[in-house]
Amino acid sequence: MTITIGLPSKGRMKEDSSAVLARAGFTVTAVGNDRSYRGRVEGRDDIEIAFLSASEISREIANGTVDFGVTGEDLVREGLAEADARVEFCARLGFGHADVVVAVPEIWLDVDTMADLGDVAADFRARHGRRLTIATKYWRLTQQFFSGNHGIQLYRIVESLGATEGAPASGSADIIVDITSTGSTLTANHLKILSDGVILKSEACLVRARKAEHAGDPVVAEIIQAVRGAL
Amino acid sequence: MPLVNLPAFAPDLIADLEKLGTERVDTPVIQPAEPFLDMAGEDLRRRIFMTESETGKSLCLRPEFTIPVCLRHIETATGTPKRYAYLGEVFRQRREGSNEFYQAGIEDLGEPDVARADARAVHDALAVLKNRLPGRKLSVVLGDQSVFEAVVAACGLPAGWQKRLVHAFGNQAQLQKLMAALSNPAPSGTFGPEVERLAIFGTLDDEARLIAHIDETMEATGYSTNASRSPADIARRLREKMELANTRLDGRTLALLKEFLALELSLADAPRALAAFADKAGLSLGAALARFESRVAALSETGVDLADITYRAAFGRPLDYYTGLVFEIAPEGDALVLAGGGRFDRLLTLLGAKERIPAVGFSLWLDRIASVKGQAA
Repeated sequence: MTITIGLPSKGRMKEDSSAVLARAGFTVTAVGNDRSYRGRVEGRDDIEIAFLSASEISREIANGTVDFGVTGEDLVREGLAEADARVEFCARLGFGHADVVVAVPEIWLDVDTMADLGDVAADFRARHGRRLTIATKYWRLTQQFFSGNHGIQLYRIVESLGATEGAPASGSADIIVDITSTGSTLTANHLKILSDGVILKSEACLVRARKAEHAGDPVVAEIIQAVRGAL
Repeated sequence: MPLVNLPAFAPDLIADLEKLGTERVDTPVIQPAEPFLDMAGEDLRRRIFMTESETGKSLCLRPEFTIPVCLRHIETATGTPKRYAYLGEVFRQRREGSNEFYQAGIEDLGEPDVARADARAVHDALAVLKNRLPGRKLSVVLGDQSVFEAVVAACGLPAGWQKRLVHAFGNQAQLQKLMAALSNPAPSGTFGPEVERLAIFGTLDDEARLIAHIDETMEATGYSTNASRSPADIARRLREKMELANTRLDGRTLALLKEFLALELSLADAPRALAAFADKAGLSLGAALARFESRVAALSETGVDLADITYRAAFGRPLDYYTGLVFEIAPEGDALVLAGGGRFDRLLTLLGAKERIPAVGFSLWLDRIASVKGQAA
């Protein structure tokens, strides 16, 4: 059986993924030219590489069209319901660090914890005639964190696909759930992260589709072991 | 074409609802999604079937009847009191069971005699079920959000805490977690560095100065002072939070709340037990207890056997529009809920009614009733 690994198709993530695989003994080369979306591993006919856009990788793993993928944990957990039942996080690769966080305007001097936010949300309608709004592209993570972990139900999500951190100042949402690596964009927009508002500490991971035929496959075991050994 | 799985007993059930003096209404299957998400919260999004109109309006398949019936009432503006009955298909994403199933029920809007309307809701739900399940013993669990609110208020807890506790009512795990947190609050890290800086300058002691400071900061950082929380809102809650920072839920109050939440007994004995609890604890539950008693009296006048009803103090629904009575009916010795209902005095105002309309209602799960009937056959 040929094992397929999905890798990010461009940018820093592509270089870092290839570097980790190279350290693990799998030298990735593009088939044809550099811009090709197919790749191979030197000296290995039993491994194929598929270069995919970052957001596609989690979906392809879930569908089982690739056996492994390198992608951010945030994208997998946001993209898939019951992620742990469908995929295995085999290794955390040490790059692509980003936290998914709950951030509120700095000037909300009275709000520093999720409990504070729960209080504000509970009587938001009574005071403002509408629910507290959250701008985010992370619907699933937000719902799990707010409803599941903190019992906060009374809010509305406003979908935001870009420049989310500008939403509170522009008035299109009250607070945000977004990704941050250094926090500088949040600070520039006068936002602060709640003290218990880190939803997920994400980084690039080697992720395996949970497929029955992987059991006892020596190549699958070899890839996991080699990548873990290279970290 | 006949609708999917409409139970054979539906026409009889409709006749029963009509005999109870209700007006039958129907509502469109395709509904605006906003009111449901607004009332029940974002969590509902995963459980309903949503789509979008060509113009980008969020729509959903009717997940329940209460909100559509209330919206229809507000639109048609036909005055109160009104007792509406419905029977139709609802659509929800469920892990178990079909995604489309039938519900029927009654929404009783604008009856000023609250005790009578509450009693009638429980009575009618039981009567309809008994007609469909002759000979089957049914048990009712009954709770009352307003009694819990009265207990929390009588304990003299700070307003902010009362709000939190009432908000968590009905969600056991959340309520336990909250009571533990209030008994043993985190010692530090709840105020940011900016608050400490303001404290040093004495800005926090003077509310007007604090509001002015927040206002200036918002202007300077490009935040609109009226789009979201205003400077006055933030200042007020900051002072409230500071007052609470050094308080904790004392052992006696915690024990009282736990004792109250553990109450579970026959409804016939509940008024006496609640009065005894209030006496022993030295709490005055006044109006809430009186309302509870008159509901029990009204229920017994309807002929319902109070022995079939269990009062459980911790039973509630964590939705902010339920205001008093909540109840569920299941076959005795079975957890399968056949009917659920409650009082929602805030809902119609939240949905846009001009005047306050007290309301109570219940809905029946026809697929479950059919399965219980099947067991018997």
